[in-house]
Amino acid sequence: MSSGEKSFVSFPLGKKRFAFHAEDVTELAKPDRLQVFPHRTGLLAGVLVRRGRVVPVLDVAQVLVGPDAPPRKFYLIVNRQFGARQEWTAIPVTGECELISAEPVAPSSKMPHYVTGLLTLNGEIVEVVSLAKLVSEEAPA
Amino acid sequence: MRPIVPQPKGAREDVILFTVGGFRLAIAANAVSEIRGLEDLQRFTLGATYLRTAKIDFTLERNGRTYFVVNAAQHFRLPPSTPTRLLVLRQTEAAIQVDSTDRMMEISVLHALPQAFTGDERNWYRGLAVMNGDVVPVVNQNAFLSRAEMAVLKTAVQRVKGAAAV
Repeated sequence: MSSGEKSFVSFPLGKKRFAFHAEDVTELAKPDRLQVFPHRTGLLAGVLVRRGRVVPVLDVAQVLVGPDAPPRKFYLIVNRQFGARQEWTAIPVTGECELISAEPVAPSSKMPHYVTGLLTLNGEIVEVVSLAKLVSEEAPA
Repeated sequence: MRPIVPQPKGAREDVILFTVGGFRLAIAANAVSEIRGLEDLQRFTLGATYLRTAKIDFTLERNGRTYFVVNAAQHFRLPPSTPTRLLVLRQTEAAIQVDSTDRMMEISVLHALPQAFTGDERNWYRGLAVMNGDVVPVVNQNAFLSRAEMAVLKTAVQRVKGAAAV
């Protein structure tokens, strides 16, 4: 790995791929039973019970690819920071994920604020997404 | 609003299961003084006049006290449902209209609501119980009507009663 390279986990949402920093990703989980109850937080689809934990499910596909995203098949479990606390969040994705090492390029100012870098993977441009920025912009408290 | 005394983890607690708008929820059994039908409710129009959310359409006169009946579907911002039961709360003059009541269960762990939830639900729920793999929110009984809302409604009722007596 060259000095500028970092590790990312890329994931598909429909025809596009996006990526999170690898250190934020805990695991890729198989489909699980989504459970819902009344709430008022944008983007949250419900919760999963995983290894005794109640894990919120954040459906970022609505923001990243719009309402026509195909059915999500897997959950990418990521760590989100809330002050001093970390919490698992499940991100529904539409296919297999991939661990990649690459040197990110800074995005242009025309890109959404939550895109923190760009990667090239098999001739495709992959947007590196900051979940914290995406949530603060798209589902403010 | 009264503070919620946190239960120690692992403390056992009886809860009553009920449904609203197709969702299953739970409330501490010791927060409920009575479960009853919807008979004897009196239409109450001042709720919509004074409160931001039109969640109170009825009152219940019981033992010389006026109970304000909160429509749980409205409280949880759900589409209108068909309430059939009333949970009369203890230590407050509020009752909750729910679609149905189920059974009483004992829970031993109350999971904190994940921090990812940032909306009104942080006040609505004390936490989440997992029952046979099902996640059931345990409601905060003090959130249905805040002290301030209760004071406004009581004052409105007293003014109406006072005007009627003149």
